[in-house]
Amino acid sequence: MTLTSLTFFGFVAASLIVYYIVPKKWRYLVLLAASLAFYGIVCFKYFPFIIFTALSTWAGALWLDKVAKDRKALLKEHKAEWDSEQKKKFKHSTIIRRRWILALVLVLNFGILAVLKYYNFLAEWFGNIINMQLPMVGLLLPLGISFYTFQSMGYIIDVYWEKTPAEKNIARFGLFATFFPQIIQGPIAIYSELAGQLYEGHDLSYENIKYGAQLIFWGLFKKMVIADRLAVVFNTLFPVRNSLSNAYSLLLLVVYMVQLYMDFSGGIDIARGVGCMFGINMAENFRRPFFSKSISEFWRRWHISLGKWLKTYLFYPMAVSKAFLRLGTWISKRGKKPSEEIPDDSIWGGFTFAQHLGRVLPGCIGTLITFFIVGMWHGANWRYAGYGLWNGIIILISMILEPVFKWLLRKLRIRVDTAGWRVFQMIRTAILVVLSVVFDIADNLADGISMIGKCFTPVLGPTTHLGTEVSTGIEAADWIVVITGLLIVFAVSLYQEKTGKHIRESLSRQPLWIQWTLGIGCVVVVAILGMYGPGVASGEFVYMQF
Amino acid sequence: MQEFIEKLKKLKKGVDFEHETALFDNGLLDSFDVIQIIAMLDDDYDITVPPSQIMPVNFNSAQAMWDMMKRLEDE
Repeated sequence: MTLTSLTFFGFVAASLIVYYIVPKKWRYLVLLAASLAFYGIVCFKYFPFIIFTALSTWAGALWLDKVAKDRKALLKEHKAEWDSEQKKKFKHSTIIRRRWILALVLVLNFGILAVLKYYNFLAEWFGNIINMQLPMVGLLLPLGISFYTFQSMGYIIDVYWEKTPAEKNIARFGLFATFFPQIIQGPIAIYSELAGQLYEGHDLSYENIKYGAQLIFWGLFKKMVIADRLAVVFNTLFPVRNSLSNAYSLLLLVVYMVQLYMDFSGGIDIARGVGCMFGINMAENFRRPFFSKSISEFWRRWHISLGKWLKTYLFYPMAVSKAFLRLGTWISKRGKKPSEEIPDDSIWGGFTFAQHLGRVLPGCIGTLITFFIVGMWHGANWRYAGYGLWNGIIILISMILEPVFKWLLRKLRIRVDTAGWRVFQMIRTAILVVLSVVFDIADNLADGISMIGKCFTPVLGPTTHLGTEVSTGIEAADWIVVITGLLIVFAVSLYQEKTGKHIRESLSRQPLWIQWTLGIGCVVVVAILGMYGPGVASGEFVYMQF
Repeated sequence: MQEFIEKLKKLKKGVDFEHETALFDNGLLDSFDVIQIIAMLDDDYDITVPPSQIMPVNFNSAQAMWDMMKRLEDE
C-alpha cells in the first residue's frame, strides 16, 4: 500500500468514515488504530522498531517530567531551611540526572538508527582502513525510521527543555509518533504544533474535505504526471552517466533535481491533503524553493521540517555553546585594535577582519557540522557528506564574505533593489542547487567534478563522447506533458509568491460549476496522463529510502 | 534598555530596534544575528541564553530580548 495506490485511498476513506462516526473523544484512537494498521500492512517485519521508539520516548519523557516536578516540590518544601548554596547544589544534581535520562533515550534511539543506517557503511569503510573484513548487519531500514526517530527525539528534547509537558497517555503519544500520513517521508512535526490537533476530535467539514482532496490531486499531478515521467528519463540516462557529454550531462542533473522536487513535494502534498481531511494542518515542507535568492534561503524553503528540526535541536545548541561563543570572542579580540572608529561602509562593514570573523565563526562552524549531518541523513555514503558540505561551504563563504560582497556592490554601483538583480540571484542559486545533485549521482568526487565540467562544455546534441545517439527514454509527447506540467506548477508558484495566498482560496470564491469542472478535470488529467505500467514505480518516492 | 538598544544597533546596522516588533518573523534578523546577540549578552551582561529560549517570540523586538534577559537573570 503506497501513497499513490487505490488501496491507500480506500484505506483513507474507511478511516475517515470511522473517524467521523465515533464520538469526538475517541477519534484520536481511530487515528492511532489506522496508523498502526498502516505501518503493520506496509512494514510489519519492522513493527518492533517503531513501537520501541514510541515506548522508550514516552517513558523517558515521563521520567524527565517526574524529576522536574520532584525538584520543584522539594525546593518548595525546603524553601525556608535551605540556603542558596544548598538549593544550587540540589538544582545541579537534578540537572545532571535529567541530562542522563535524555542521553539514554537519545543514545538508544539514534543508536538504532545509526546501526541500521550506517553500520554496514562504516564497517566496510573502517574494514578497508584496517584491512580486515568486519561483519555486516543483514537488516533493511524500517520504513520512515529517520522521520519518526527525529520527530520523537524532538519531543523528548522539548520535554527536557521544559518547553512542553510530558504526555501521560501512551495512546496519545503513540499517535504522535506513528501518525500514518507522515510516516513515509515526513514532514517531521514539532510536538507543540501537531499533537494538540491529533488529540482533538475534529468536526466533519466540507472545506477540509475539499481542500484535502485538492492537495491530494495536486500532489498526484506532480508525482504521477511529472516526476514519474522524469524518473524514466533519469533511469535511462543514469546508467550511461559517465559517457554522457555536453548538454546531456546538464540535462541529467536538471532532470534529477526537478524529479526530486516534484516527487518529494508531491508526496508531501498527498500526506498533508490526507491530514487536512481529518482536520489536521500538518507542517509545510516546501515554500517554492526555486524562488530562493541564496543557498541559505533555499534551505529555509526546501525540506523545511528537517531544516527546522536541525536548526532547533542541533545548530543553535552548538552555536550558542560556551565553547563556540568563547572561540568567537577570542578571535574577535585578536588582531590590531583600530585606533579610531571604522566607518560602516568599510570592506568589513564597520569592523576589523578579526572582529567580523569572531562574530560569524560560531554560526559558520555550526553550519558546517549541521550540513554534514544533513548530507549523511540522506544516505550512508561519503558522497552525501559531500552534498551536505557543498551547501555548508557555500553558506560559510557567503557569511564570511558578506560585507565584502556588499562593499563590492557599492563600489561597482550595482543596484540590488531591482527585479533584474533578484532574478540573477535566483538563477545563481538554482545553478548551485542543480550542481549539488552531482554528489547524489556521480560514483565518486572525481567523476562528479568531471560531470560539472562537462555541463559547461558548449557542444549540443544527443551524443555520448563516443558519438553514439542517446535516447531520453520518453517520447516527444511525454516531454510536452512534462513541460506543460512544469509551466502550470511554475504559474501556481508565481501566483503564491506574488500574492502570498493559496490558489485554493481564490478558487473557492468561484461559482460551484467552475470548482467542480476544475476538480473533475484534475482527476481526469491524473487518470489519463499519470504514468502507469511496467518500468514505472509510481508508489515509490525518492525520500522513502531516507 | 537604551544602552542595550545601542549595542544591538552596533551589532546589526540599519535595523530599527526601537520600533520593530517582528525582527525575526520579518527576516530582519537571521540565525547568525541571533547567535551574535547571544554572544553579546554573554560577553557584556554575563547572561547565558539556553537553546530552549531561542524562539522567534524572544527575538522579535528589543523589548522581548530585554524581557528574556530579565527572566534569565532572575532564574
